[in-house]
Amino acid sequence: MTKHLIIIILLGVLLAVFVVAMQDVQILYNTALKSYLVEGVIPRGFEETGSRNLVTAILLDYRLFDSLFEAGILLIAVSGIIWISKHDIEEKNAQFMYDKFKTPDLFVTFSRLVYPLMLTFGFYVIINGHLSPGGGFQGGAIVASAILILYYIDHDKETNIKLIVTVEKFLYIAILLFAGISIFTRGTFFTNFIPTHYSYDVQTIYLVILNIMIGFKVALGLWAIFTAFLKEGR
Amino acid sequence: MLDLTMIELTAYALQILLIILAIAIVVHRNNGTIIILITSFSLVTACLYIMNKAPDVAIAEVAIGSAIIPLIYVISISRQREFIVLDKALDDFIISDNQFTGVGYILLKRFTDLYHLELNITNDPGLCKLGTGRDQLLCEQTNVDLIVTKDEETNKYILKGKKSSILLQKLESMAKDYDNIEVIQFKDRDFGD
Repeated sequence: MTKHLIIIILLGVLLAVFVVAMQDVQILYNTALKSYLVEGVIPRGFEETGSRNLVTAILLDYRLFDSLFEAGILLIAVSGIIWISKHDIEEKNAQFMYDKFKTPDLFVTFSRLVYPLMLTFGFYVIINGHLSPGGGFQGGAIVASAILILYYIDHDKETNIKLIVTVEKFLYIAILLFAGISIFTRGTFFTNFIPTHYSYDVQTIYLVILNIMIGFKVALGLWAIFTAFLKEGR
Repeated sequence: MLDLTMIELTAYALQILLIILAIAIVVHRNNGTIIILITSFSLVTACLYIMNKAPDVAIAEVAIGSAIIPLIYVISISRQREFIVLDKALDDFIISDNQFTGVGYILLKRFTDLYHLELNITNDPGLCKLGTGRDQLLCEQTNVDLIVTKDEETNKYILKGKKSSILLQKLESMAKDYDNIEVIQFKDRDFGD
């Protein structure tokens, strides 16, 4: 009884803190953040970054530092999961007779039908990140779930999980280096490396390349996570 | 009286649905139902994101919350309640006439049904290739629960498993009725690392 009472009191305190914090957010949104968005990003975002999607403009240009750390956190999570679920005996994906009997044929057929569509949509979301909603992270997640469907179609599929994680690590270093080029051309870290006097179309090259790199990194990371989960029982 | 547009009404309805779904996730006991509820929770959340003009977040929510996370949950829950048997005998002990009707399968199925486990039989060539001497190592390092081998001389089927699992004692008492089945329990070894 006391336990329940303590939990209820704690939840009440949390709710009160949350409500107070939300009022602060409202004040922030109406003053500093609003002036930053209304006077800074919204009118000048397209001219400064060449991105019609202002969320991508913030993610890949104004606040690129935050996005890089976000990608790093995903990498750390992937490494942790692989480390926890490591096996000593060299093993492939086991062939489960029972799985084949269990997976319905309808599901397999539909997966075959949907798989290319999902993959195409994922690449579309990645490449069009600067024009339409989406971007590297979202597109990478869609590509990863398309690859996950592949395991239901082909049970004997083998994946080299170490190779995936290694490629992901090198890709992350490549993203860091690519984002750091701007110190030679513009003089500041982590922004668009193409000088400002070029046209918007030229500036989008940077956004597309960075979106593709982040998309592949996220797709590989999520692929590694669920391969670890799939291998765990085998 | 109430001056609400259609979109506002829908948004309120979705928010109420969200609270109902959240309570249902906590209250429900069946794992499969909970996964479906989590999926619908993130779909409703994605709808709300779109109504608040955040399509980028909505795409991420749909891709992560209602595709990848439920599939990972499904995989890990199906692994939890499994009794994994490695079939090294590769004859009609488990599968006869391309169907699960062998003597051993019926025994194991009866055994796993008793404990509400799901029987999962593998004949993975990578693991079967390992010699008989490494069976104990295999039991300890992978989560294969039982290994089925055949003794060519006495024509007996040998079921091997770890002694620490209480399940095997029950299996041994069940296998007494069969003449050609023997149950061996490995002793636990200490790993001094």
